[in-house]
Amino acid sequence: MVSKKLTIVNAQGFHMRPASTFATAMGKYGCDVVLKHNGKDVNAKSLMNIIAACIKCGNEVEVVATGPDEEAALAEAVSMIEAGFGE
Amino acid sequence: MLKGIAASEGIGIGKVMIVAEQKLEYVPKEVTDVDAELKRYSDAVDAFCEETMEQADAIRKSTGNKEAEILEGHIAIIRDPFMNGEIENLIKSEQCAEKAVEQVCQMFIDMFSATGDELTMQRATDVKDIRDSLLAILLGIHQVKISDAPANTVLVVKELTPSMTAGIKKENIVGIITETGSQTSHSAILARALEIPAVLSVEGATTKLSTDEQIIVDGSNGEVVTAPSITEIADYTDKRESFLRDKRELENYRGKKTVSASGTEYELFCNIGTPKDATKAMAADGEGVGLFRTEFLFMDRNALPTEDEQFEAYKQASIIMKGAPIIIRTLDIGGDKEIPYLGLEKEENPFMGFRAIRYCLKNRDMFKSQIKAILRASAFGDIRIMFPLITAVEELRAGKELVEEAKSDLRASNIDFDENIQVGVMTETAASGVIAHLLAKEADFFSIGTNDLTGYTMAADRGNGDVAYLYSPFQPSVLMMIKRIIECGTKEGISVGMCGEAAANPMMIPLLISFGLTEFSVSAPSVLKVRKNISKWTQEEADAVTEKVMSMATEKEILDYLKTVV
Repeated sequence: MVSKKLTIVNAQGFHMRPASTFATAMGKYGCDVVLKHNGKDVNAKSLMNIIAACIKCGNEVEVVATGPDEEAALAEAVSMIEAGFGE
Repeated sequence: MLKGIAASEGIGIGKVMIVAEQKLEYVPKEVTDVDAELKRYSDAVDAFCEETMEQADAIRKSTGNKEAEILEGHIAIIRDPFMNGEIENLIKSEQCAEKAVEQVCQMFIDMFSATGDELTMQRATDVKDIRDSLLAILLGIHQVKISDAPANTVLVVKELTPSMTAGIKKENIVGIITETGSQTSHSAILARALEIPAVLSVEGATTKLSTDEQIIVDGSNGEVVTAPSITEIADYTDKRESFLRDKRELENYRGKKTVSASGTEYELFCNIGTPKDATKAMAADGEGVGLFRTEFLFMDRNALPTEDEQFEAYKQASIIMKGAPIIIRTLDIGGDKEIPYLGLEKEENPFMGFRAIRYCLKNRDMFKSQIKAILRASAFGDIRIMFPLITAVEELRAGKELVEEAKSDLRASNIDFDENIQVGVMTETAASGVIAHLLAKEADFFSIGTNDLTGYTMAADRGNGDVAYLYSPFQPSVLMMIKRIIECGTKEGISVGMCGEAAANPMMIPLLISFGLTEFSVSAPSVLKVRKNISKWTQEEADAVTEKVMSMATEKEILDYLKTVV
């Protein structure tokens, strides 16, 4: 298991477009990817679960990847979140 | 006339087309062949995606990429592995596809609605839209085509869904009326993106209006004129023309610097009340925030906000503004505002009582936590602190002392902040105007709050009809105050801004240019107008106008004269 804590930097937070690109990107990996936010575990491969989690700009999330390709999944997740999803 | 929410500016004159909701009723049936039902479902999803892709392409051409993305989001939603899995599981447990789709969609609609977050709650609308489209496909119901609407159509719907919007041809739809929605709902955002005048939340619009009746939609004032007379049509046609002309002209000022005709550059900032307003400031082309009111953090709750909570809000605003200057005004609160947990006593004369900086300096722990939160946020952008209601130098000194204390606390905890953070005064009392020469030596900047400055200088409450006539920033006394504050600031080499309503008044602008104001802070919708107004004045012309104004004895003379020059 690998994990990293990050702060959401784009203004609108995890809204539709970032949630969608993020879930699609995470869907490529075989490992489980979970976003820990506000004491809840959110399935990072499900756009709908990410949206329901209501993750805003300035919020802290912990990305946790567990499985064979966990390192690669975490690296991509971190670079997407840190880049503010290109917004 | 029908009233609603003004959601997209402009005026549309045309004929009503009502798009009624379709009945998507079905009798749930038991499924015997699960594989066949799964295929029926996946075929419907494929058909939905194909249709939506086509709509997205169409809207991308007519409106833009952002709007197309909303529809592409629908495809992402329906392709969501978790959501799909849930629907398929229900079908496998022998539920029909319609029921499965409806149940799972409802689950997400409830989940999104329960968050209480506006943006997330709006996604519930998307899920409803998807649910209806999928049900229509499964039930073989043909949906009404908005794309067939003739020229000069005013679209009247319960709620404007993204898939409906996709059918809108800009050249044919001249107005939109809905029964639900707010300034920030999808309908409003889409209408604004399409630049179609829209009035939302018009109660019973789809039943009160009838197809083909002539109607006027005034999206600037949130009004719908039914059965308009010939004169009304002529009036609104003129209004429409001038609206379109002004709009084209103002757009020329977007992305430009704020410069007078003599080439002097000014800062043009926005006033905001929440971090979310910062998004509006950015969209309006504001160059920073000249007044960030912090009362929202303290109102409508049962206890003081924590330092972290405040820090998050200030930081969020700074990130949204991409590090541009933000002047944060410390808590401006008094006995006239309902904040039960602060235990403020009702006062006989709250505007002259225990409020703003006076209250904060007596409640040091609360004040220090706000200052620490602001300092911590200053690590993320150009953040400045402003104290409201200063009337004496001691208050500024006491406030600055607390800032220093907060700094050393943070240093001791190894927390980053801007060591050179500017601390300024909101000059909004007669006293601060008179001692502006003293304050200017110890403050890093001034920002003139003309609303209170006018009230305190004239000793007149603008809410009181009997004395409201005295309440005007064009009173010679108030103009003298403004002039004095700017000149004292300039003499000490500090920047002087104005964050009151007067900063956006075209008649005030030449005076402010002549006095030497360096920063204008206005509401987001005024940004481009103010930039345009500033660009019209040369220093010489502004000086000449101001010299005349300052020699006049009455407000009436001044206004009569200024009306002739702007």
